[in-house]
Amino acid sequence: MFLNETQEEVRATTRSFVNNVVRPAAETLDREERFPTEIYDEMGKLGLFGIAVPEELGGPGFDTLTYAVVMEELSRGYASVADQCGLVELISTLLVRHGTPEQQKMLPDVMSMKRKVAYCITEPEAGTDVSGIRTTATRDGDGWVLNGGKIWIHNAPVADTGFVLARTDKEAGNRGMSIFIVDLHAKGVERGPKEHKMGQRASQVGGLDFQDVRLGADALLGEMNRGFHMMMSVLDKGRVGIAALAVGIAQAGLEAAVDYAGTRKQFGKHISEFQGVQWLLADMAKDIEAARLLVYSAAMKIDRGLDATRACSMAKCFAGDIAVSRTADAVQVFGGSGYIRGFEVERLYRDAKITQIYEGTNQIQRMIIARELLRKGAEA
Amino acid sequence: MKILVPIKRVVDYNVRVRVRTDGSGLELNNVKMSMNPFDEIALEEAVRLKEKGVATEVIAISIGVPQAKDTLRTALAMGADRAILVHATDDVCQDIEPLSVARILEKIIKSEAPQLVIAGKQAIDNDMNATGQMLAAALGWGQATYASAIEVQNNTVLVTREIDGGLQTLCLKLPAVVTTDLRLNQPRYVALPAIMKAKKKTIDEISIKTLGIDITPRLSILSTAEPPKRQAGIKVKSVDELVSKLKNEAGVL
Ligand SMILES: Cc1cc2nc3c(=O)[nH]c(=O)nc-3n(C[C@H](O)[C@H](O)[C@H](O)COP(=O)(O)OP(=O)(O)OC[C@H]3O[C@@H](n4cnc5c(N)ncnc54)[C@H](O)[C@@H]3O)c2cc1C
Repeated sequence: MFLNETQEEVRATTRSFVNNVVRPAAETLDREERFPTEIYDEMGKLGLFGIAVPEELGGPGFDTLTYAVVMEELSRGYASVADQCGLVELISTLLVRHGTPEQQKMLPDVMSMKRKVAYCITEPEAGTDVSGIRTTATRDGDGWVLNGGKIWIHNAPVADTGFVLARTDKEAGNRGMSIFIVDLHAKGVERGPKEHKMGQRASQVGGLDFQDVRLGADALLGEMNRGFHMMMSVLDKGRVGIAALAVGIAQAGLEAAVDYAGTRKQFGKHISEFQGVQWLLADMAKDIEAARLLVYSAAMKIDRGLDATRACSMAKCFAGDIAVSRTADAVQVFGGSGYIRGFEVERLYRDAKITQIYEGTNQIQRMIIARELLRKGAEA
Repeated sequence: MKILVPIKRVVDYNVRVRVRTDGSGLELNNVKMSMNPFDEIALEEAVRLKEKGVATEVIAISIGVPQAKDTLRTALAMGADRAILVHATDDVCQDIEPLSVARILEKIIKSEAPQLVIAGKQAIDNDMNATGQMLAAALGWGQATYASAIEVQNNTVLVTREIDGGLQTLCLKLPAVVTTDLRLNQPRYVALPAIMKAKKKTIDEISIKTLGIDITPRLSILSTAEPPKRQAGIKVKSVDELVSKLKNEAGVL
């Protein structure tokens, strides 16, 4: 209803790919914690990476709403696959907005996943509070020398290129950080072991250490000392993406629960005939639809150039919370089966939890919503 | 060589269809519609022939309601060069019968002059399996149905057909009509950039009135009924019990 013909078509084509290729592979990928190169190759060919990259730079040039639709559909198949799409979207958005023409030449390889990227911000002492980062880039001739360490970086174990937030002015706080494009195969880059996670286990997450890594003059992305602001400028979009990802997980749980309730029999009846189960399903459906509409509304605000900060935080926070609570309900509908490895809902429940944590924790989202309310007023 | 591919908009194969309460047909309002899967295979084959340099242009044509334009957009995104929509009715429940479709296609073919028509062997909504055959007869062209392989050689087309007990290969002089079976190919997923490019391709709209063809139905549907509900299975305790049930209750032994 909210989508135009093109967006509906994108949804249909993504869904058929996901139904045939992604969703059937999810259980194995989760169990093996494997990076699905073959799926990413195919997604690259289908144009499912770099969705908003404009046509003149080789992308399909879709809007944020279309991106949200793709994220939900991919995540309905497997959240790790959607998260890869979200990561490429952030990096390519940064490159499109701030990259030099020379730097933008890497876009086709980023969008085909020939070049795997990582977005490197978090450090042991700097999680929610990004201003605490200790990684430094020190001037050296016309380039820099990078020192420090990052943790919990998506793609770190496999990535070719890191987009690394580093301090370039010790005194200047948020105005003293810059983003550097770093060759992760270069001398001085050390990769930590891959982390074993609760969910989204096909996503490869790990640490990166930089010891006197030499960066050329062309490594700086955008303006010097504007790294924090550049990072913030893509946050809205990142949040819409993760919100849509959360909706996709919950939607998959709802579908599984409705199917199961219609086949499982107890007391001589399908469990879907018990009102106790029906109410679980109804509550799942209404929360998921509400979250989806928050996502659409936030995406449309971005696309129309309106102030979207509050809307994006509301979408991310609500969708993350209901992804956790409603996949828990899906487990409930399955009873004991829902707690057993191999049943989709067991994985969905684990995959959902991180959506309350990354891309700004849900505490921070509430903080932002409240700040916006108190600053700009409560009007809708 | 031009290839024409007729495309029908049908109820999506994933939809659990319901019979209308008055039994006059299926509930088609607010139901997800998609391209007939056999037509998708036909279009894929045509696009592959173009990619191989055998065909120069692929034209998709649909006959029916204005909403079929969406289906044609998908066809354009899959690789058709342009599309034609024959606006034949506004009623989503009105099916245009095979003979009418064949007559309309015949007329369009007279002006478009394709060398090859690749059509689905049947539409999954009412499984008529007739349009391709009727069209070939109307045009006086050769026909090959149930194709599982198509190869164009100079002025002929070699078609492998799936028939009872094996495969048959026919050689047809062009122009010809070929209808597709399930195993001809695996249609591609539409790539996102192709959806954007398809927006720039043209869909010519033709009103049925300008064609002077009578599409009044010749068949009337007397009733439509849902298949009987599947009975729940039962568990048997022994092989003897199973054999006895198969003999005495199911009557299959
Ligand atoms: C699977 C996974 C993938 C990740 N991928 C990446 C990546 O690709 N790149 C990257 O840079 N990082 C990545 N991260 C890191 C992620 O962004 C951080 O974990 C997140 O920002 C939270 O930081 P933290 O873990 O240090 O928690 P902390 O900041 O230590 O927070 C702990 C708790 O305190 C709360 N809290 C903190 N400050 C406040 C406050 N002011 N008010 C109220 N509550 C507060 C938080 O909400 C949370 O509940 C990833 C993490 C995981 C687990």
